[in-house]
Amino acid sequence: MALSNLKEYVRPDELDVALSLVKERGTSARVIGGGIDLVRSSSPDIETLVDLSHLSLSYVRQTDKGVAIGATTTLTEILEAPALENYLQGVVVEMLHQVGAPPLRNLASMGGTLASAHPWSDVITLFLALGAQVTLYNGVTRMVPLSDLYASRALLSPAIITEALLPAYAKGTAAAFMKFSRTKFDIAILNCACLISTQNGDCKGVRLTAGGTPQLATLLPAAAEVLLGRRLNQTSIGQAAGIARETTFVRDDLRASGNYRRELVYAGVKRCLTCVSRQLSGVSQ
Amino acid sequence: MCEERTTEFTVVGRSERKVDGIALVTGKPKFVADIDLSNMLYVKILHSPYAHARITEINTSRAEALPGVMCVLSSKNTPSTRYTTAGQGYPEPSPYDTRMFDTKVRFVGDRVAAVAAETEEIALQALKEIEVHYEELPPVLSVDAATALEAPIIHDEKDATGIFDPVRNISAKIDINVGDVKQGFAESDSTVETTCETQYAQHTPIEPHVVLSYLDEDGRLVLRTSTQVPFHTRRIVSYVLGIPLHRIRVIKPRIGGAFGTKQEILLEDLAGLVTLRTGRPALIEFTRQEEFVSARTRHPMRIRVKLGAKKNGILHAIEMEALSNTGAYGAHSLTVLSNVGSKTLPIYNKARNVRFSGKAVYTNLPVAGAYRGYGAPQGYYPLEVAMDKLAGKLGLDPIELRRRNHIRCGESSPIFEEIGEGREGVAQTINSCELERCLEIGARRIGWAKKRGLRTRNGPWIHGLGMSIHMQGSGIAQVDMGAATIKMNEDGSFNLLVGATDLGTGSDTILGQIAAEVLGVPLSKVIVYSSDTDFTPFDVGAYASSTTYVSGTAVKRAAEEVRGQIVGVAAAMLESDMTNLTIKDEQVISIDGRSVTLTEVCQRAMYQVDQFQIGATESCVQDQSPPPFMSSFAEVAVDTETGFVKIVDYVAVVDCGTVINPKMAQGQIEGALANGIGYALTEVMLFSSTGRVQNATLFDYKILGALDIPPIDITLLDSYEPTGPMGAKSVAEIGINAPIPTIANAIYDAVGVRLTKTPFTPERVLSAIRSHSV
Amino acid sequence: MKIELIVNGKQQELDSAPGETLLHLLRRIGYKGVKKGCESGDCGACAVLLDDRVVNSCLVLAAKADGHRVTTVEGLAGQDKTGELHPVQEAFLEHGAVQCGYCSPGMIIAAVDLLAHNPNPGDQEIKEGISGNLCRCTGYVKQIEAIRIAAEKMRKGTDV
Repeated sequence: MALSNLKEYVRPDELDVALSLVKERGTSARVIGGGIDLVRSSSPDIETLVDLSHLSLSYVRQTDKGVAIGATTTLTEILEAPALENYLQGVVVEMLHQVGAPPLRNLASMGGTLASAHPWSDVITLFLALGAQVTLYNGVTRMVPLSDLYASRALLSPAIITEALLPAYAKGTAAAFMKFSRTKFDIAILNCACLISTQNGDCKGVRLTAGGTPQLATLLPAAAEVLLGRRLNQTSIGQAAGIARETTFVRDDLRASGNYRRELVYAGVKRCLTCVSRQLSGVSQ
Repeated sequence: MCEERTTEFTVVGRSERKVDGIALVTGKPKFVADIDLSNMLYVKILHSPYAHARITEINTSRAEALPGVMCVLSSKNTPSTRYTTAGQGYPEPSPYDTRMFDTKVRFVGDRVAAVAAETEEIALQALKEIEVHYEELPPVLSVDAATALEAPIIHDEKDATGIFDPVRNISAKIDINVGDVKQGFAESDSTVETTCETQYAQHTPIEPHVVLSYLDEDGRLVLRTSTQVPFHTRRIVSYVLGIPLHRIRVIKPRIGGAFGTKQEILLEDLAGLVTLRTGRPALIEFTRQEEFVSARTRHPMRIRVKLGAKKNGILHAIEMEALSNTGAYGAHSLTVLSNVGSKTLPIYNKARNVRFSGKAVYTNLPVAGAYRGYGAPQGYYPLEVAMDKLAGKLGLDPIELRRRNHIRCGESSPIFEEIGEGREGVAQTINSCELERCLEIGARRIGWAKKRGLRTRNGPWIHGLGMSIHMQGSGIAQVDMGAATIKMNEDGSFNLLVGATDLGTGSDTILGQIAAEVLGVPLSKVIVYSSDTDFTPFDVGAYASSTTYVSGTAVKRAAEEVRGQIVGVAAAMLESDMTNLTIKDEQVISIDGRSVTLTEVCQRAMYQVDQFQIGATESCVQDQSPPPFMSSFAEVAVDTETGFVKIVDYVAVVDCGTVINPKMAQGQIEGALANGIGYALTEVMLFSSTGRVQNATLFDYKILGALDIPPIDITLLDSYEPTGPMGAKSVAEIGINAPIPTIANAIYDAVGVRLTKTPFTPERVLSAIRSHSV
Repeated sequence: MKIELIVNGKQQELDSAPGETLLHLLRRIGYKGVKKGCESGDCGACAVLLDDRVVNSCLVLAAKADGHRVTTVEGLAGQDKTGELHPVQEAFLEHGAVQCGYCSPGMIIAAVDLLAHNPNPGDQEIKEGISGNLCRCTGYVKQIEAIRIAAEKMRKGTDV
């Protein structure tokens, strides 16, 4: 039995019902999209599962603010969504091809992925770099930057993620994602992402992230700062990568040592920035 | 000197579909756990949390009292007989150092107790109710710790037998001398030396160990089990449980891969005892975690090789010294250690001075056992790296160095008779060897001359080429025996009964092909039934690459005998001389053109005149173990910024004698290479400071997936082994010997570093590159 | 709890404990073609189609599948009940893509999903399509080839 003490499995068709169930039952109740993590956990504490799949939260929509993704949308649905084909040159699609494998992507929901906050999550590393915003519902709807969600877990207790928004960016913006793993069907030893907005060729907005360090992705402000107001070239990229290598928190775990991860931070940031630089100058990949 | 095949075959040599293929692709319930028996009990095992401890007290009463618990087993109520779990021929060349449930535990994951209950949940709950008091002992977690002075003694029991030196934790030892190596090195113009280390790795068959036991209507114990060794299982279970062998039947249905980990009597004793005690069927299914920790693993080893050569590149002295970690119990410890030398050294038979020595040492770590290659993969690593080094030192192309030194048709090596498997070896002369062609074709296909030494750059990637050569064996000479029974049916079809064990390897199919070839019928007319100790004649089982060469010869002999009987009946029917008759297209044809069908022949023999069952049982034990040979080449690209190693191209050229079924033979090589590449690059079992496996999941222990597979180019050479059935040797293991040394040598070509520890993780490679350039 | 599944086209009302996985339930009601390899979503041996998409049945609660269609390998052959094999099954057989066969049902299911959504995949796409199905016997070489050939046959509209 995967969840031996599970007594109730409900699929409410109203968000308020879902929320009140979670409020009532406390930690013995969990909301699920695909449910992968909870089923794997075999936790005896879970007595109620609230399946959100009847709340019409499966969608990927082009809006004027950006691309809105419903919380129960599977990673496959996101990967195949027309709205993401050209979003920042398909960087989200490229990242998702490296997440897990089809059977997992067909089940995993975006909301579940963001909520479970696996430190090696490729989705979170990229979404953080893209400045994603999440919509939370706890009786009241509000939108917060994704990074706030991880700064304070209190935001989710209890609240339900209903949507993520990948902001629209003007021309002259490009993003890239890089993942290092032992085999292709494996979590990252290290992943990183970047989003660069330029004006007249100079970096105006820079978001760099590294994750799987083995901690959850964080922004790398010191490395980002070095690029502001400058053009992307071998020198500036090398400097940024060097600072990232020095300032990113890394640690040993059974996949890799912290020292080695430092080298991957350097290589990953350098390659992401080089990739972005090529995109911005119109060179095909 | 090398013979050539003169016959053209009709069934042999074709990529016939597997005889069990349709059942497998349609998901028919053919595996052990696919049948539901009413009244079945679920058995769960309590494993030791300590690497080394005495069990001072064990109280199972609370567990026994749980509703739904039928049986709780521990050292208090099970046989204390010492045995070996190794599925080997009797007398097994492994120490009898294991008890069903011991009063001492020797690794994290060792058996402590077991519960049989109505449901899995109840069994798991009952495990928690078993009270165990341990007296912790200092754990021995490395071979160096095990052989240190005053190291704790892991096997201090008084009743173990066959351990070489229990006080020093030495399970087995070997020391073989040919000529005088000291003198040999002194006489050499050039010497090189290298020491290489290989890691703990696991077979990860997609189906973990599983056994279902039950009593049949006559009260006999039936073990339906995922095994490579049904007959050894029957014998050893009889011995351990103290019940007559004839009261046991072992059936191997379809199994989901094995690669050596199921050449073991791992769970059948336990399931059998539960069934005997309760009268009910019992199912034991290992979880994936248990499969990693409490099944079997590869022997990690540290091996030093020293080579001495004359100016002309001919090897004059070889020294190989191996230190093997056999884990907590000694199953296969001596024989795997022996194979490190016996399956490697003969390939360089020119050296007149050879010393092979080694020890297999106990540690408080998971138990190492049989694993495809069986010591050869570990041995080829330092040997082929040393050869690469020697080539560099002599200014010779690595291929040229091999060419000057490798064994050839008509030659022998003293190693063949020096090293057996737990006993003396058997002298043999090579009757088939296509290594020269293997080298020539492989070099061409990888583009050796064009690309080696170029260090082509592609961004941070630097390319390099490496190669190695290999041999294995085909069964264990004068030891492995297999038998086959063929009986004819009145529609011109045949039942082929073989003890030989199809692990998914397709042996049922190729044995069927051999029979069909001799009997002059299509494969569809041969119904193969295998691995059932009540119905099929004896076979040692699937290991040592024995099935095609040994069992296949038994099949051929039985088919020839049956063929003779058919012709005899036909001769009577046609009133003709037997010498005037041949079998073709399911008919017996006379030179004068008259014929009778096989159906008519059998109907007469079964119902009409001089009735008898057309059939025969024949056996085979071979006098030699003709090696298959292969050359292995790889082009790698090394990312100098991250240490990642990508295999750009992999070429293997294989001489396995006549190829019985090309697609299946290719499949064996492809699978073995993939496994070997994982062993070289990504697979490693990791341990905590207390000896617990830290990555006992497929999430944390990475084997190759479809996206990791490099382009693999395999050529099966047309060759002919006169002592093999239809000229065949073997192909099952040899492929896995190659990737480690080939890749190591390719990395050297690319970035000039010699890696002497596997796996070649990106971290290790980067560290080597950085320290090399300093 | 009572759940409703349409397994291989057959509507079934089933009793299930809320915490039971689809893998456990399917094997319990007789679909032995769905294999247990790791129970953690890492090997793909348990893969089935859930409404035409490949999923690891060990990660899906039976309750989650309530009201949905499930296809196992047993449901592939003979959609029209002639018992003819699905082109992927046929190709696996013909091209040596089956050794022990334990990963085959899950692998075949993954390939069926891939080809249903991408009828003309390149080798890289085929590899990605089966990237969640581990095999220790074959090295994937012949499986990739078989899927490529099956795709071609299916595009041409011919049976193997």
